[in-house]
Amino acid sequence: MIETKLGEFEEVILLLTGILGEEAYAFKVAEEFESQTGRSVSIGAVHSTLTRLEEKGFLKSEMGKSTAERGGRRKRIYTITAYGKKTLAAAKEFKQSLWDQFPGFATAKLSFGV
Amino acid sequence: MESKVNPPKLARRLLKGFLRDDLAEEVQGDLNEKFCIDLKNKSDYKAKLNYWYQTLNYLRPFAIKKLIRLRAMNNHLLENYFKISTRNIFKHKMISSINVFSLAIGLAACVVIYLFVSDERSFDAFHSKNSNIYRLDEVQKFTGTNEQKVALSMPGMGPALKRDFPEVKNYVRLWLRGKQLITKNDTKHLIDNIITADSTFFDVFDFPLIQGDINTCLDRPLTILLTESTALKFFKTTSEALHNTVSWDGRDYEVTGVLKDVPENSHIQFEALLSMVTYTSGENNVNNSWGGNWMTTYLLLESTVNIKSMEEKFPAFLSRYMDDPDITTTYKLFLQPFNEVHLTSNDIEHDYINYRKFNGSYLTIFYVIAGFILLIAAVNFMNLTTARASHRWKEIGVRKTIGAKKLQLFGQFIFESVLLAGIALVVALLLDTLFIPLLNDLIGRQLSILPLFQNVWQLVAVLVCTLSLGVLTGIYPSFYMTSFNLSRVLKGGNRGEGKSVLRSTLVIVQFGLAIAMMVSTLIVIQQLSFMKESDIGFDKDQMLLVNMNNEANEKFETLKKELQKQSMIRGVTASGQRLGNNFHQGGFKVKADTGVLTITPSNVNVDYDYLSVYGIDVKEGRGFSKDNPTDKGFAFIINESFANELRLKETLGTKAGHDWYHNDSLGTIIGVVKDFNFNSLHYKVNTLALVVHPEWGYQELSVKIEKGRSEEGIAAVKKVWDELVPSYPFDYTFLDAHFEEVYRSDKQMSAVVAIMAGLSILISCIGLFGLAAITIEKKTKEIGVRKVLGATESQITILLSRNFAILIIIAFVMVSPITYYALHRWLEGFAYRINISLLVFVVGGILALAIGLLTISYHTLKSARANPVKALRYE
Repeated sequence: MIETKLGEFEEVILLLTGILGEEAYAFKVAEEFESQTGRSVSIGAVHSTLTRLEEKGFLKSEMGKSTAERGGRRKRIYTITAYGKKTLAAAKEFKQSLWDQFPGFATAKLSFGV
Repeated sequence: MESKVNPPKLARRLLKGFLRDDLAEEVQGDLNEKFCIDLKNKSDYKAKLNYWYQTLNYLRPFAIKKLIRLRAMNNHLLENYFKISTRNIFKHKMISSINVFSLAIGLAACVVIYLFVSDERSFDAFHSKNSNIYRLDEVQKFTGTNEQKVALSMPGMGPALKRDFPEVKNYVRLWLRGKQLITKNDTKHLIDNIITADSTFFDVFDFPLIQGDINTCLDRPLTILLTESTALKFFKTTSEALHNTVSWDGRDYEVTGVLKDVPENSHIQFEALLSMVTYTSGENNVNNSWGGNWMTTYLLLESTVNIKSMEEKFPAFLSRYMDDPDITTTYKLFLQPFNEVHLTSNDIEHDYINYRKFNGSYLTIFYVIAGFILLIAAVNFMNLTTARASHRWKEIGVRKTIGAKKLQLFGQFIFESVLLAGIALVVALLLDTLFIPLLNDLIGRQLSILPLFQNVWQLVAVLVCTLSLGVLTGIYPSFYMTSFNLSRVLKGGNRGEGKSVLRSTLVIVQFGLAIAMMVSTLIVIQQLSFMKESDIGFDKDQMLLVNMNNEANEKFETLKKELQKQSMIRGVTASGQRLGNNFHQGGFKVKADTGVLTITPSNVNVDYDYLSVYGIDVKEGRGFSKDNPTDKGFAFIINESFANELRLKETLGTKAGHDWYHNDSLGTIIGVVKDFNFNSLHYKVNTLALVVHPEWGYQELSVKIEKGRSEEGIAAVKKVWDELVPSYPFDYTFLDAHFEEVYRSDKQMSAVVAIMAGLSILISCIGLFGLAAITIEKKTKEIGVRKVLGATESQITILLSRNFAILIIIAFVMVSPITYYALHRWLEGFAYRINISLLVFVVGGILALAIGLLTISYHTLKSARANPVKALRYE
């Protein structure tokens, strides 16, 4: 069975992969995660999530270029798939609909109408 | 420059070790990149640390190699292991049951030893301050006496130590009164152990009080504390007992408290406690008493105290209080940790408050024996599994061909041995449940397996031990079986496999241990029966001992006359102390040509015919006689040791007396008796002086009863006693029963060693039986050919037995010297001991050989007799 729901961490990683574009490989995603959220994360944890997201079909990957810093080893670049984008959008929409039902905002909207 | 610093090598290797190959490149790259950036921003150390952190964070299911993943996560594999293992176990029923049973017997024996040892170790653990309590002991070196350690001290010592040493927080003195008659109106009971104790008793010890005030209950004179069951002998409830009175020795004592019965594992046992204040408040304040040692003093010290340096201050302490220039040579004080009193007091004499005293060094012997037994059982397992490896070649071969990793095969075999160990544990526990009651009868203990199940940690420990035993015994066979070359395995094996140096070595080890234990048992039993049978210089059989009180002493002559009338009574006498331990020692003066010598021999007060009733030989002079009026108090009979110590030209007729006799009114030495062992045979015979002093009172009546008429005799003595001494119940024991008690620790040790030796031989033989079955089966063809060519049955039997016999002989030769040395050391603990006879070794060796050959004879004879046609048709 393939899990299709997106967890919070997964969603963030997916978004970060989208943001990073050509530079989206495990180490960079982990760094970006740390700088954007201020939370520390191990590369292994990010890598594990990326692999899972790929298994679910939200990401696809291919080997990219190598650099001297990496000891001549190539990196695995992840790119977001159409299905991934769709799932992200759905997640956003779902949350938006929840926000819309949130009483504080709902009343404000009503008063606008009058 | 920075690029010179590399990621930690070990971490890199680890990562490479567990990481999936297809991930290796990218992950190593990522981590390297991270490391480079870290190097720029942080210290080298932090960068390396982080590399480790990142590496360990890759220990995730998705990133780990398949094989490891399988082992860790795949239940099917375990299921398969289980299935194959059980199939194998059931397929080879004989070998499996040999494995299981020998392991089970080994484990069962170990559990018993553990229960025994932990029972001994549990002594005195219930006192919360026990690590800071010490017993004050003395080393006494009196002239004319063997140097001795004693558990007694002077009454003045406790209070003075507290005054003089700030590190002494408190002290408590115990003064053993022994068995006493306590009365309450018409209710009379002999109470076994009465102790007089200081009011500080509860400040030092934690015996639980159920009635009364723990702070004040021993503060007043003439107060008594009873244990619960003692209180219930006199009163209906414990609360009724409180503030009531009981009488002892003509005085009333108020019951100020009731204690819970003293637990079995306390070396201090008592049924009642009298307040010490009774003896320190009057004119004869014993707190100022120095010189005589009759109390046991316990000190509660600060936890920071250095015992060594405290003991160094004791000589000065003694000189301060005792006006005697030699005091520091005659007395040396030392502190014995309270926890160790039970197990380390074996060389301490006059140690009366030490219930079930046990020789702690025997516990080490028990541990060693437990180790031996397990080793012997483990050897069986290893030998049988490797010897049988050929049966599993096909299985191993097929598994390897399909692609089983070495590690997987290894896991399979380890799993199998762990499973067997698990089954063995269950069988072991069943065996223990069955046999522990029998064992208890044999060694007089109340061991129980139940506590093992009540304590989770103990149970976990037992499980862990069993499992690790399974793993350990499984390792060698697993290595052995997985090391086969695949092509050879599938081809049908190699012939070299029948002989194995290691297997032979293991058999040697096994039989070596078994022979060692067997010979030891023989020697131990010899020594014990030597102690039992050897001529100790007096007659201890059929001697009935009866406790005497004042009335019995007053009426002693009548009592004696009445008893002598009975036909089955061979003799009646009395004494101040019972045989079987050292007699009290006291100063003794002898007037030699050179002046008056002072010597401190053991002393005992006896009735006139003590020597004749006990059959003690008079070597020189004469025994006591009523016809001689001066024989009462002014005639002394000494033993040979004493006479040798004196080295007088003419011992008989020499003036002598107790140290309070005036030099002008001394008595005379009228006789010298042959040395007799009034103390246990662990000790040399001490110097001894016997005297007749009826007015001092006798402790015990000794009645010699004709053999075979004990019952009748007891009844007759009771009848006379009850008529003449209504104030005191008839309370008796037999002297030989008392001696059994004296040698109890030794006897229990010998019983355990004997049982364990039997078990180790049994396990070894079970193993040998299995091994013989396997090796002989392999030789079926050879035997067939030999028979066809004309070999006789006996030739074949000898051929088959020879190898095993050689192993047993090698084992015997190797183990004999070590055993001899160990036994020699043990025997040194006895002043009177047997010489180790080499014959015992020969007997042990031959016995082992005979048992071993007999065991395999089932297989050797069977195959020797078998029809060669059958043998050759096999395959």
